[in-house]
Parts: sequence; structure tokens; C-alpha cells
Amino acid sequence: MELVNVLVFGLVNSAVLALTAMGFSLTFGLSGVANFAHGGLYLLAGYTSWILANRLNLPFAVSAVLAVILAALLGALIYRLVLMPVRGIVLSEVIATFAVGVAILELFRWMGFVTYEFNLRPFVKGSVEIAGVAVDYQRILIIGIGLVLAAGLWYFTRRTRIGLALRGMAQDEYTALSVGIESDWAAALSLALGAGLAAVAALSILPLGIISINIGYDVLLIALAVTVLGGLESTTGLVAGAFILGYAMTFTSTYLGPQWMEAVYMAAIVLVLAVKPSGLFGKSKELEERV
Amino acid sequence: MLEVKNLMVFFENALAVNDLSLEVKKGEIVGVFGSNSAGKTTLMNTIAGLTQHMMHREQRKGGQRITISGEMLFEGEDILRAKPSRRVAKGIVLCRERHPVFKDCSVEENLRLGGYLRKESEIRERIRYAYDLFPPLERLKGKKAGMLSGGEQEMVAIGMALAARPKLLIMDEPLLGLSPAMQSEVVRAVREISRDGVTILLAEQYARPVMPVIDRGYVIENGTLIVSGTGKELLDNPEVRSAYFGV
Repeated sequence: MELVNVLVFGLVNSAVLALTAMGFSLTFGLSGVANFAHGGLYLLAGYTSWILANRLNLPFAVSAVLAVILAALLGALIYRLVLMPVRGIVLSEVIATFAVGVAILELFRWMGFVTYEFNLRPFVKGSVEIAGVAVDYQRILIIGIGLVLAAGLWYFTRRTRIGLALRGMAQDEYTALSVGIESDWAAALSLALGAGLAAVAALSILPLGIISINIGYDVLLIALAVTVLGGLESTTGLVAGAFILGYAMTFTSTYLGPQWMEAVYMAAIVLVLAVKPSGLFGKSKELEERV
Repeated sequence: MLEVKNLMVFFENALAVNDLSLEVKKGEIVGVFGSNSAGKTTLMNTIAGLTQHMMHREQRKGGQRITISGEMLFEGEDILRAKPSRRVAKGIVLCRERHPVFKDCSVEENLRLGGYLRKESEIRERIRYAYDLFPPLERLKGKKAGMLSGGEQEMVAIGMALAARPKLLIMDEPLLGLSPAMQSEVVRAVREISRDGVTILLAEQYARPVMPVIDRGYVIENGTLIVSGTGKELLDNPEVRSAYFGV
């Protein structure tokens, strides 16, 4: 029974990790920017949705949509105001985005979002039994949302003009410029898309527990671990990285205790960078320099 | 159509283009010839707006100081400070050196990207044009551009530039690294593109293969204009012949 439990929750945890890292990976793949404000944007979406729903009494769906839009706009603004002046200087990009992420998280701490009263309601309540294991609908929904987003992103980057332009810019900036694609516009859009995805992940995953500032820091580490493990510019790598880490964390939690779960993704980052810096499916080693 | 007057481009204190003036009239094929580091690519990139983009990028991050001065008119409008995208929209399209393609995209995706600023119906028509100009491309349309040979990649690069519907097509060393047969194929395409009403500015190090198709040419060295004239005048100049045309 314990093994079935591990298999079912390993699957759910893997989907959670993939969804958490999707925005970070997308932004890096399309613009080369490692957005270390990812955790800040994730939590910003969670708190914004909570404030809109609980303080302004907006319907949950409206608050969720507004939170995603706000995160996406902030992603574009981060590029415009913070990253544009340091574009191309890798260390400055990392420091600048990390500073923004910390500023967002600590702003919420300063505003008093430190107690245990903040939680988002799930999209769907209730649970279902799978092979004798009770799984709430929200967790199953996360798997569905992950699949829909992955398919949507595949379609967007391959079948739409804007998506194709972003892929072109990611491959060769000067050739993209010579056919009329604007690099700052493309980078701002990739930051906005990544931030929007971070918000969708937050609104899907945060209802599983309470919202706390530390989640923002954990989310950044998880995104880094999944991306480093799976490799850059690789959707297959992202999914594989999420599954390996997801099952590793579930096994560790079940057989060693939940206090060791953090050690798993920290160890994954260190091990992969030491043994295979390009990750399992990655083509480049650039992220190694950014961690 | 294009008038460049007293153009100067500095990279820090190094002068890449020195007080250079040139003119391209509508319908012409104009060559720019010079050895390595003569300033051909900087000139082409500056006309396409890429040097200006690099200058802004460096300015923002406090890096290399790039200075551009002079005058650049396209159909009477000053474009020296215009963004690359604005220039493409106006019809100035650069096909960069060393067959630049989007390696992880298919041939057809590359051609579609070339027409990024054009309407969907125009893109379809331009892709058809590229396939008619280079028939092997249609057979390769689903293949990743990075898997193609150098010659095939050059066809994709030219097709991509044509998909942008250029009025002035700038080709930076289109023959570089190609086999003699492939060079002839590109020269044939240049002639055909020109016949279809596109004005062409073409930079080459080794001028001989393109001499039969150019109307006029400029020879530059260390960023400075050495001599200009019609193809025949350049060929009749013994110094130019031995230095640049290999005859």
C-alpha cells in the first residue's frame, strides 16, 4: 500500500514540480535570462489573488485572472526597468532579478503576511480514490493544467507567428533582428510569459497548503533544480527532471521523513552541476554559470 | 534609392568605416569589394541597423563605445538612427554573412520567420517565390535548417531575406565558403532577383564570380573608399584586378 501511495503521490508531485519550473524554463529558453525573481512572482500571484478575493471580495475566478495578468505585466516591467540596462551581463542579470524577487517577498513580510491565515481555495473540492489512495481533485487538476499548458506552449512556439519569432530570437538574435523581430520586445514578452506561468502554477498549487513567504524561496530552488537536472531548452528535459525529482522527493519523504525533501533538490543541483552540467537532456552549459 | 554620405563608424578608437559615401540607384546591383577587415560587414550591418542596435546595447551596459556619424537616406528619408525593424518594414533587408539560419527551425519555419513583418497571404506568396528560385528547398522544407549543407543553408538565408519582401536586398558575402557550383547557383539567383525588380547591394571579398552581374562597384580598404566605377572600369584597373579580382 505504501508503494502505491508513493507511485500516486510521486506522479502528483512531479506534475507540481513541472508546473512550478515551467515559467522559469520557458523564459530562460526564449531569452537566455535566468529570472531569479521567479519565486517572488509566484508568491505575488498567490497573495494578490488572496487580497482580491478576501479583502475586495472579488469572485475567485476574477481574482485569479487579475493575479495572472499582474504577474505577467510585472514580468515585462522587470525586463524593461531592471534587465534592459544590464542585458548580456550574466552576473548582473542574476543579481538584479534575485534582488527583485527578494524585494517582492520581503515586501509581503513587511506588510504582515506572516501568519497562517492565508490560503487560496481550491478550484475543485473533494477527492477520488486511485488504487486505494485518496487523491484530492485539485492535485488531479494540477496534472491536467500541466498537460494543457505544455500542449499550449508547444502550439504557441511552433504554430503562431509570435511564438516562432521568440524561438528565432532565442536561436540567433542578429539574424532575428535582420528580419524585423525586435529583441527587447521578444525578451520582455518571454519574461511576461514566464511570470504568467509562475502565477498559474501558484494559483493551482498554493491551494494545497497555506501561503507563506518561504515558499517563494523554495519555488526558486525547485525551478532551478528541475531546470538544471533536465537541461536547458528542452521540454523533454523539464518533464524528465520533474519526474526524477518528484519521485525522489516522494520516496525520501515516505521512507526517510519529510524533513529530508529539501536536501533532495539541493543535492540534485550540486550533483548535476558537478557530474553533467548540461543536464540530462540539455544542449548548453550556460545555466551552470548562473547558479 | 540609398545614399550614404560621409559615414564613419568607430569601435572605441578603431575606425571601421572612414568617411565613406556610396549610392545605390533603384534596380541596380552594386558591389562592395575589399579584403578581410576592410569594413564591408560593418558597412552592411550599419545600413541594416545592426551596428546601431549593438551601439545602444553597449551604451546601456557601459561597454564598448561605438560611434556612428554621417548621413544615410533611403528613398529620401533619413534612416541612420532607425531601428532594424523599421528598416525591414521600409524594405531594407540584410542577408548576413556565413549563411545565417535559425538552426533549430525547419526550412519552412525559417522562410516564415523571414516574412515576420508581412501579411500571411504575402508570406505564402514569398515562400512560393523562394521555392521557385531554389527548387531544392521545397523538398527540404520539413528538415531542420541546422542539418543542411552550407550551400543549402545559403539558399534558406536568401529565401528568408526574400520572404521579407525587400526593395533593397543587402547580401554580405553570399559566396563565402561555397563550392564553385553553388557559387554559380547564387549568382544566377542574384541575377533573377534583380530581374524581378529588387535592388541589390552585395559585399564580397573575392569579386570575380559576381563581376558579370554587377552594374557598379566600390572597393574599400581599412574602411576607406579606394576606387569606384562600373564593373568594366574596375576590371580595367590593373591594381584592382590583381588585388581583388584574382585576374
